Amino acid sequence: MAYSDKVVDHYENPRNVGTLDKSSESVGTGLVGAPECGDVMRLQIRVNPETHVIEDAKFKTFGCGSAIASSSLATEWVKGKTIAEALTITNTDIVKELALPPVKIHCSVLAEDAIRAAIGDWKKKNHVTEEVGVAVAAAH
Amino acid sequence: MDYFHIFSLPTKLTVDLPALEKSFYALSRKLHPDRFASRPAAEQAAALAESSNLNDAYRTLKDPIARTEYLLKLEGIELEEQSKAATEVARTTGVAKKQIVPPDLLEEAFELNMQLEEMRMAKKMGEDDPQLRHDLQAAKSAFDAKMSATQAELESLWSKWDAALDTNNAAAKTAARDAMVSLLNRRSYLRNLVRDVNEALET
Ligand code: FES
Repeated sequence: MAYSDKVVDHYENPRNVGTLDKSSESVGTGLVGAPECGDVMRLQIRVNPETHVIEDAKFKTFGCGSAIASSSLATEWVKGKTIAEALTITNTDIVKELALPPVKIHCSVLAEDAIRAAIGDWKKKNHVTEEVGVAVAAAH
Repeated sequence: MDYFHIFSLPTKLTVDLPALEKSFYALSRKLHPDRFASRPAAEQAAALAESSNLNDAYRTLKDPIARTEYLLKLEGIELEEQSKAATEVARTTGVAKKQIVPPDLLEEAFELNMQLEEMRMAKKMGEDDPQLRHDLQAAKSAFDAKMSATQAELESLWSKWDAALDTNNAAAKTAARDAMVSLLNRRSYLRNLVRDVNEALET
């Protein structure tokens, strides 16, 4: 199967591969899997406790090229965003950016799941319960 | 006509394999090209198509996993669709998506993949780490054992499904169906891991 240039680029030069300290209060870890193919992905974020801005993100993915590219892109996208903003990223955005074919959609779903799982873990650790909506609330 | 009907079987998962084989041969004989040699081309073609469908049906029903997957498909279960739908629910509700595979298995899968990577790296450098090899060997046995356990588990779910079908118990059918889905998901992880470990240990 032919991968798009963007996929190949992320695959050959993945951004932000690595590990953050799982036990740190400010780190959220998401470990997710795609049952369709048996691949696994871990995505971690380090969040500023004051501003809720994601200051760093790392990933490690055992899976296909699209999964690696999706998670690499996901870490790039979440960096610098607030928790609420990061939650608005969907797998469709990833599919579009990487021009993934239909058979590779589940790989992008995996990346969205990983972002959500990492944020969920961070929230749990920090007892953040505030309802972070899908859309960033418009200013009234 | 679905594969079970081709063999006049109920949509049950416990299958009498010798009987299935017998009826496969009987049906094959009926469709044998020799019998159609003097028939019009259209009839010959139809028999050929039917015979290849019969072959698919036999191959699917003969294999325990393929048979289960096929039945789940008849029940309208598409794994990929399920996972995507669950992500959409998580997105709109803000509630964390429940992973279909148990978290501890994901954890194990991840750990094992890390070790495999280490092993491959060591090999590339022309080194062999006996400790690592030993760990992988141990992991392999553990996953092999888990893999065989899924077989027994699957068979007990078959009985549950078949019984629910007999008593026409919709709730029990759904329960058996969902349990089979999660079992097959777990199995696909185990299968990948076993395959990767074998590869790493061999080369
Ligand atoms: S094929 Fe499994 S994540 Fe892409």
